[in-house]
Amino acid sequence: MSALVAAELLKLRTTRAWIGYLLAGVALTGIAAAGTVGTAEQTSLGSEELSREILSSAGFATVLAFVIGIVAVTMEWRHGTVTRTFLVTPRRERVLLAKELFMLLLGAALALLAIVLVLAIAVPWLVVDGSSFETSGTVAYALRLIVSTMLWGALGIGVGAVVHSQTPALVGSILWVLVGEALVTALLGLVDLEAVGDYLPGRALSAFDGSGGNGGLSMWPAGAVGVAWVVTLALLGSLRIAREDVT
Amino acid sequence: MIEVERLTKRFGKTVAVRDLSFVVRPGTVTGFLGPNGAGKSTTLRAILGLVRPDAGGARVLGRRYRDLDRPLERVGAVLETFDAHPGRSGRNHLRVLARAAGLPRSRVDEVLDLVELTGAAGRRAKGYSLGMRQRLGLAAVLLGDPEVLVLDEPANGLDPQGIRWLRDLLRSLAAEGRTVLVSSHVLAEVAQTVDHVVIIHRGTLIRQAAIADVQALAAGATLVRSPDAGRLAELLAGVDIDVVGDGRLSVAAPPERVGELAAANGIVLHELRAERATLEEVFLELTGPDGEGEEGT
Repeated sequence: MSALVAAELLKLRTTRAWIGYLLAGVALTGIAAAGTVGTAEQTSLGSEELSREILSSAGFATVLAFVIGIVAVTMEWRHGTVTRTFLVTPRRERVLLAKELFMLLLGAALALLAIVLVLAIAVPWLVVDGSSFETSGTVAYALRLIVSTMLWGALGIGVGAVVHSQTPALVGSILWVLVGEALVTALLGLVDLEAVGDYLPGRALSAFDGSGGNGGLSMWPAGAVGVAWVVTLALLGSLRIAREDVT
Repeated sequence: MIEVERLTKRFGKTVAVRDLSFVVRPGTVTGFLGPNGAGKSTTLRAILGLVRPDAGGARVLGRRYRDLDRPLERVGAVLETFDAHPGRSGRNHLRVLARAAGLPRSRVDEVLDLVELTGAAGRRAKGYSLGMRQRLGLAAVLLGDPEVLVLDEPANGLDPQGIRWLRDLLRSLAAEGRTVLVSSHVLAEVAQTVDHVVIIHRGTLIRQAAIADVQALAAGATLVRSPDAGRLAELLAGVDIDVVGDGRLSVAAPPERVGELAAANGIVLHELRAERATLEEVFLELTGPDGEGEEGT
C-alpha cells in the first residue's frame, strides 16, 4: 500500500499542475492573512479572537485539498491513465484506498504549509506594530484546521470516484458547497427541518473547523458527520469503480 | 499461457464478443486478427480484467488477471488507447508505474534503452509522435520482464524499421519461452511475425490455425510481365490466366514453371513474382460477407 501512496505522490509531482496549486494557495492565503492583519481593529490587537481570525486565513487549504482530491481521481479518466493504473493494480479498491490515504497526508501537509505561511506574515507584522500573536487557544484551532483539510481532501477523492467526469465533478461539487447546501438548508427551513442541513458535508466540516460561524453542530459531532461523509462517498465510489468497465 | 473460455461481452444491446474460446501457448507469437470492430480490444480488455464478461471468462497463467500477484511482473500489456498523462514525461510515466508495482527505478532506464526512447524520455508525452507513443507503451509492457505479453495493434504508427525491430523483439521474446499475443487488423502486417493466428469477426471465432495453413490458403497466383505476354499466354494453355494490364498476366501456376517456360521459348520477362499480398484476400474472404463468420441472417 505504501508503494501505491508513493506512486500517487509521484503522479502529482510529475505534471505541472502542482505549480498552479501552490501559486494559487500561497497567493490567496497570503492575501487573506495580510488583509486580516492589516484591517484589524486597534482594540482587538493581541486578542485570542484576532489570532483565530488570522489563522482562519489558512482555510483556503481546505478548498485546495478538495479540488486536488477530485482531480487526483478524475484525471485518470480524463487522460485514460486509469487503464494503466488498473493494469498495475487490478484490485481497484486498493487504488482508491491509496488515493484516500494520499489525500489525508497531503491535506495535512497543505494545512501545515498554509498555517506556517500565515504565521510568517502575521507574527512579524504584529511585532512591528508593537503587538503580539496570542497563542493560547490557537493550537487546538490549528489542529482542527489540519484535520478538516485532510477530510476535505479525502472527500474530494470520494467525489471523483463517484463522478469520473472532471468538469462536472469540479463545478458541481464547488457549486454544491458554495450555494447548494445553503439552498437545501433554506428549503428544509420551510418545513422546519433546518437543523438537518447541519448534517450536510460542507456545513458539518465548517462547523468542525470553526469556519462556519455560529450555529450548527458542535465540534465533535460535526467531525463525526464529516468522517461519515468521507467514508460513505469512498464506499459508493468503490462500488462504482469495482464494477465498471474500463474501455 | 492465455485461456479464453466461452467469453461473451455485451455493451447495451450490442454483442461485442460472443462465446469466444481460444488458447495462446507459451513460446509462440499468436496473431489476434479481425477487422476493426470485430471485438479484439474487448477480448483483450476482458483478458486483462478491465471489462467484466457477461459470461465465460479468461485466465492468464492459470488465474484471472485480478488474482495475479504482482501482475506487472507476470503480464505486460498495452492497449490501443494511449494511457500516459500528456503532461508527464515518458520517463516519469514509467517511474510512476515502477513505483506502484514495486520495481526498481533502474528498470525504467533499461526499458527506455530497449525501446530506443531514451533520447525523448525527458519530454512531455503530449509531444510524442504515434511511433514514440507505441514505443512508450512497449516500454511499459517490458517494465516487469513479464512471461506473457498482450499487445493491441503495436505496429500502428511505426515506420518500416520500427516494424522490423518490433518483429525481431517479439520473435526473440517468444524464443525465450514467453507467451505473446498481438492483435492486428492487417494480416500482412503480422504474417512474418506470428506462428499462429486467431481470427475473429463480429465477436465470434472464425479460425484458429498455424500461419502456414493460412498462407497455404493464399498460395497460387504468379504475376508476370513481359513484352511478349500474348505468346506466353498461348504457351500456358490449360492454366487459368487473367490479363491484368498492359503486358501483365496473373497466372495460376508457380513462378518456377512460368520462368522455365519463358526461358525455354526465349521470351523476355520484365517481372516475375509470387503474389504474396493475396494473404489479405484470404483474410477478407474468411471475414467478408460470404465468409465463414457470417451468421444466418
